[in-house]
Amino acid sequence: MISVSEVTKNFDEVHALKEVNLDIATGEFVTIVGPSGCGKSTLLRIIAGLISTQGSVEKPDKGAFVFQDAALLPWRTVQKNAELLMELEDGFSKEERVSRVSSALQQVGLSGFEKSYPHQLSGGMKMRLSLARALVLRPDYLLLDEPLSAVDELTRELLQEEIHALWKEEKFTAILVTHNVAEAVFLSNRVVVMSPRPGEIVHVVDVPFKKRDQLLRSKAQFSKLVNDISGKLRSWK
Amino acid sequence: MEINKVLPPILVLIVFLFTWSLGASLYNMPFLLPNPLEVARAFVTDFDMIVGGLWITFQEALYGYLLAISIGISSAAVMSQSKILERSFYPYAILLQTLPAVAVAPLIVLWFGFDMQSVVVISLIISLFPIINNTLLGLKSTSINLVELFQMHNSSRIVNFFKLRLPAAIPHTIAGLRISAGLSVIGAIVGEFIIGSGSMGGGLGVMVIYAQADLETALVIALILTATFLGFAFFMTVTALGHQLLKHWHESEIA
Repeated sequence: MISVSEVTKNFDEVHALKEVNLDIATGEFVTIVGPSGCGKSTLLRIIAGLISTQGSVEKPDKGAFVFQDAALLPWRTVQKNAELLMELEDGFSKEERVSRVSSALQQVGLSGFEKSYPHQLSGGMKMRLSLARALVLRPDYLLLDEPLSAVDELTRELLQEEIHALWKEEKFTAILVTHNVAEAVFLSNRVVVMSPRPGEIVHVVDVPFKKRDQLLRSKAQFSKLVNDISGKLRSWK
Repeated sequence: MEINKVLPPILVLIVFLFTWSLGASLYNMPFLLPNPLEVARAFVTDFDMIVGGLWITFQEALYGYLLAISIGISSAAVMSQSKILERSFYPYAILLQTLPAVAVAPLIVLWFGFDMQSVVVISLIISLFPIINNTLLGLKSTSINLVELFQMHNSSRIVNFFKLRLPAAIPHTIAGLRISAGLSVIGAIVGEFIIGSGSMGGGLGVMVIYAQADLETALVIALILTATFLGFAFFMTVTALGHQLLKHWHESEIA
């Protein structure tokens, strides 16, 4: 369970977030959408503990963050990049590292690329590596900050399906920030809609779909839900 | 190596040598403008002397350069650790650059004596700033997401420095080292001009002064070419080292 209560954040004169309250159940997938500059990335960083705040955040111990630009170390191979967080966190033997990395790379379809460098990978592969790097920690929760905004449309849909599969397999709690409403609906149990600055939660929409696959995208209920949420976002424009 | 990569600069050289030779023949004042062939002859007749001078200047420039590298990188590392440290010391690093080293040289002689160490110090002063400046820039230009990633997983200052900031700074440091490679030789020559031969015998700079006094212009040019080659050799060594360090990952070296 992740519990955000009374989170307010001001940067000097800018009121970024106003009294945000949000409870996320263990194993739930929640997506935050909102207009640019509404403070959704700030909220994600507050949950990660990267930014201090008035208010409180309760969360499990083990978490990982997936950044928009994959945030890989270009001088490390795929293997070494995937090992990075285990090096930083300590307490992992060499054998443990190697075995966790090999299974995580397998999961994201990067087996065989261990010795490659990030510049040799496509945008989609970089993001897969970034996911693998987070998964090796077997995190209780995963925070994703617009992870798919830099990849092409087809790769984007494929990666959404992969993220969904990883979430089902690993059962982590996930909080995703995105601009893409279809992506939010495809992946989440709930979609949280935020207002422009100062960011407040104005709607929470349940997503009822059981099966998340390519077929879902062409269903009428799916499009309707996407349109509903887009309509709420558009009302500020 | 492809022929059309090597050929153009060689052609330029041939045209240059030909024009020089033609000009020298027409002008016909060999003590002012010797023929390229006479320069070549100076290389042959004074070979032992030139190599002796090269060896001395090489040592002075190398020590100056190595000191500049170690002092430059470590002071940039210290300054990168906090804004206060950077604000306190960086202005003096700039002054080091604007300091007229030639004018300070007599003072350095007073402090370090008429000997090799004074030449080394001048070479150090002249080649230090680009290394500090570029390394500091590199240490500070780590992507914010990577800093956040390390922060989220509780990395210490030390881990942060060695696993993130330092490797990220290498391309910048190499760029600084390339600028300083030639400067260290220039510093050594300037030092020799002022300090003279000292107890270790004369380097290339000292020999230039003597050869000029004797109107041995061909030898002066031969010595200048030797010093130029020395700086170039430093440059190429650092460039090769940079290539080894960066070839797998940095845009500048990826084929």
